[in-house]
Amino acid sequence: MSRVAYSSINEYLNALRVALRDADPALLQDALYDAEEYLRAACAEQSERPEAEVLAEVIGQFGSPEELAAGYRETEATVAKALRAPAPKVPSSVLGKIFGVYVDPRTYASLFYMFLAFVTGIFYFTWAVTGSAMSVGFAILIFGVPFFLLFIGSVRLISLVEGRIIEVLLGERMPRRPVYSPQGNSTTQRIGQRILAMLKDPRTWSTLLYMAAMLPIGIVYFTAAIIGLALSFAMMAAPFHGHFFHLGHDTVIYVPWVLEGFSEWPMSLWLVPIGFLALTAVLHVARLVGRLHGKVAKHLLVRVAA
Amino acid sequence: MDTENPLVRKFEKELSAGSVALVLLSVIGRATEPLYGYQIAKRLETADPELAGGKQGAFYPVLRSLSAAGLLDSFVEPSVSGPPRKYYRITEQGRDVLQAWKASWQRMKTFVDSALEA
Repeated sequence: MSRVAYSSINEYLNALRVALRDADPALLQDALYDAEEYLRAACAEQSERPEAEVLAEVIGQFGSPEELAAGYRETEATVAKALRAPAPKVPSSVLGKIFGVYVDPRTYASLFYMFLAFVTGIFYFTWAVTGSAMSVGFAILIFGVPFFLLFIGSVRLISLVEGRIIEVLLGERMPRRPVYSPQGNSTTQRIGQRILAMLKDPRTWSTLLYMAAMLPIGIVYFTAAIIGLALSFAMMAAPFHGHFFHLGHDTVIYVPWVLEGFSEWPMSLWLVPIGFLALTAVLHVARLVGRLHGKVAKHLLVRVAA
Repeated sequence: MDTENPLVRKFEKELSAGSVALVLLSVIGRATEPLYGYQIAKRLETADPELAGGKQGAFYPVLRSLSAAGLLDSFVEPSVSGPPRKYYRITEQGRDVLQAWKASWQRMKTFVDSALEA
């Protein structure tokens, strides 16, 4: 078996994260925690030797990320299964696939994200545009450069925060950026290298693009979610409202022209199942939007460990 | 040890999968103080430098499941070298189960030995 050499503990942990990318997030967290405890303890014992050298030795005893991942998966499957609530089953029937969207927690999380995107979108856009504009404006001044670097640093921080939000709400695993530790002799040299790496990283610039794009995207998400939900619920409630509250006649006040034949009670009751179907469609769209957004954001925000 | 033969590897893996929980429980049961993962792994390493029990990383998920089953008690303490360490110590229920497991192991051992020698 060929052994991959890891130069740092973080590199090993990233490989482990990749090996367990489709596992339960809690399981991944456990595995990362355990591996870090072991590797740090082992390296601390031999702190006079370089980390990469100790790691090469220790990983032979501890196991490669793939071996470790297999161990966690098996133990989870055999022992821990009985102790935890089973994961929701993916329904196989067509009806189950259509209406299963109601019990999928991801649907509601995506819907929430669509509302939240409006708020975060305004903030991201303002931050990105103000920061860029002020950087350009300050460029001729003495503090222009530090201001620009500070702004770029904040962009990278925001990309991590947005990554956390997306991982929690949309379920797209967002690997944390590996901690960059440049090899320099002096502190100034190290800081210089870190700044250079930050500016050369295409993710920095794609994050800036993402932040600016989040305003229009957030507006579209928010509007679509509100209109979709409002329309569906209104259709379900309209017949009863029109009939029992006697608004003028026994009519629904307004129905779109396609549904004109349904404006009189009891024909108007047909609006209830139609509204229900509309709601189902809205939830499906919300879930799909969440999934797509997670994928796009992953590419723009975070370097995916290969 | 012929580790290249997949049949041998598979057999070793199954053997260690069945016995690793017993080994861990007994190591922690004998210890006078709570142990954390790395210490447990090192104790097993001195007893078994050939790693017949499998890679040390494989102990951790078993420790977690023993703890979830109530056989081990765990607490977390900060450390200077890395993340906070998770210490394990055996519970009363763990001791009872360990006795039962030891008896099963002895029976199995006698059974296998007698079959091999006959």
